[in-house]
Amino acid sequence: MSSKILKELPKLVREQVITPETAQAIEHYYQSRPDTKTNSLLTIFGVLGAILVGLGIILIFAHNWDNFPKGVKVFLAFLPLLISQFFTGYAILQKKSAVWKEITGTFLFFSVGTAIALISQIYHIPGDLGNYLFTWTLLCLPLIYLLKSNALALLHLVFTTYYGAVAGYSDGSYPWFYLVFILLFLPHYYQLCKEHAGGNITAVFHWLLPFSFTITLGTFFSSSSQLGFLMYMTLFGLFYNTGKLSFLKAHSLIKNGYLLIGTIGTTILAIVLSSKWFWTNYYFEKDFNYKDFGLLVMLQCAAAGVLWLTVKQQKSYKEVNGFQLIFLVFSGIFLLGLAHSIAGIVLTNLLVLLMGAYMVKIGATRFNFTILNYGLLIITTLIICRFFDTNMSFIIRGLLFILVGAGFFSANYLLLQKTKK
Amino acid sequence: MKTKHLLLLFGLVALVQIIVPASMIFKNQEILKNGTVYKFKTAPVDPNNPFVGKYISLNYNLNSFPSTDSIWEGSDKIYLYLTRDQKGFAAIKSVSKVKRNDTKDDFVVAKVNYAFGGKVYFNLPFNTYYMEEGKAYDAEVAYREQQNDTITYPTYALVHIKDGQAVLSDVIIKDIPIKDYVSKK
Repeated sequence: MSSKILKELPKLVREQVITPETAQAIEHYYQSRPDTKTNSLLTIFGVLGAILVGLGIILIFAHNWDNFPKGVKVFLAFLPLLISQFFTGYAILQKKSAVWKEITGTFLFFSVGTAIALISQIYHIPGDLGNYLFTWTLLCLPLIYLLKSNALALLHLVFTTYYGAVAGYSDGSYPWFYLVFILLFLPHYYQLCKEHAGGNITAVFHWLLPFSFTITLGTFFSSSSQLGFLMYMTLFGLFYNTGKLSFLKAHSLIKNGYLLIGTIGTTILAIVLSSKWFWTNYYFEKDFNYKDFGLLVMLQCAAAGVLWLTVKQQKSYKEVNGFQLIFLVFSGIFLLGLAHSIAGIVLTNLLVLLMGAYMVKIGATRFNFTILNYGLLIITTLIICRFFDTNMSFIIRGLLFILVGAGFFSANYLLLQKTKK
Repeated sequence: MKTKHLLLLFGLVALVQIIVPASMIFKNQEILKNGTVYKFKTAPVDPNNPFVGKYISLNYNLNSFPSTDSIWEGSDKIYLYLTRDQKGFAAIKSVSKVKRNDTKDDFVVAKVNYAFGGKVYFNLPFNTYYMEEGKAYDAEVAYREQQNDTITYPTYALVHIKDGQAVLSDVIIKDIPIKDYVSKK
């Protein structure tokens, strides 16, 4: 883009659109400005390269070379670590660019993992994956702040989630250190939100963080808990409301992972919970315990707190949309379902239907085809699900499908006509 | 932050990154050098670890001990005090829920699996023997082939034990290390 402008400058001076001094000033501006696009690409490909090289080294060492004596293996375990430490130190000392720090930091991250893996291999230390991931993540955590590296923060978040899932689901213990690792990542995240609110890398974290919580929430409650689904519903409510906060709402939808994960999660869960199976079988086979209840209360308080913040920011209760309240409505249905399972089934189905209709309404009002069709998709999925677990006659089922199909067509057609006007 | 301070902090982090794997080496070397060697009869099967590579998982014959106590629960620690049987293989002299101070016998700390029928069942901690890719499965096959002759040639693991810590140094099949046995075949 800048070269195109620079080429135009002599012509603009000739035509007396700008003065030679202005032309010179423009030329100077573009020459002195760092090329951010090239830098970003270099960082992305450099980091990808470092990740691939790091993983490649881990895989080569995982071959476990029997012919090498123990001393050689130990030397090889430390070699990538020392090399990457040297280059990272050099990058800090010489105040090298962010690209340098991102790449050397990433390479160092994988070198630490390689060293621990190889030592475990040499001494046949039993393969406790949870412990291994914990040590690895902990040893690399300070690098995020020392190098101010987004790639390392990303790797930290991915490996923290991996650790949380392994320690929680496979080893069966509460992965408390997962929470500690997330807490220690938050200052970096806060800084990013403050300084690069609309940046692509910030948006990546807006997706990864809720995704990480979605994966690991299940490790904090008992697998036989009656409250599991309600906790997930509340978590998605928390995400949706977070996505409605002004600092996230200001950016495009694709950059708002909280809102999208909250919306999709709530929808999928509501459709699952609308089944007869949940209210008549699953729900009553599970048990209740106070630990899980405590966690649920904490989640509800957090979600309600964020909801209150959004209301405060919007300055009017009228601007609160129905989707923000679903976790609260569902809590009520959940309590009612304890006493009357039929009421639970009917109300959840009604709720999903209303969600679909509400989305269609919003889509039509805002001339947004994505929201409109998402609403129609919710209604269709609900009908397809009931197709399998009710004893409706084939004629009624057929008529329902024709109605929904016609609804899809007419709603899109009407919206298209409206936008043309 | 000044470059000098940043470099100093990085130096500290780098040092810890070296110390952690180095301490793993020193600890294990110390046990290999000064620990008492026990032979545990075992049967190998071959699983996989995404980061560390192929290994044979060792199922030990020594996996239970008579105990009528009702104190044992899954995942509990169990202290196994060791001795040797008439053929020189590891055997258990006694078990305890806590570390005993009235004996100088070697011990290892295992995890309780379950207690049933007057016995407590446990998993020994040194159950992983890493092998070159391609050899782990061959090792399992080799063991299966000579399984009929486990009395003359029992397959066993050599384990060094010191102060409750154990390091597995080798797995022996037909009197030779398993990796040499597989290479020969």
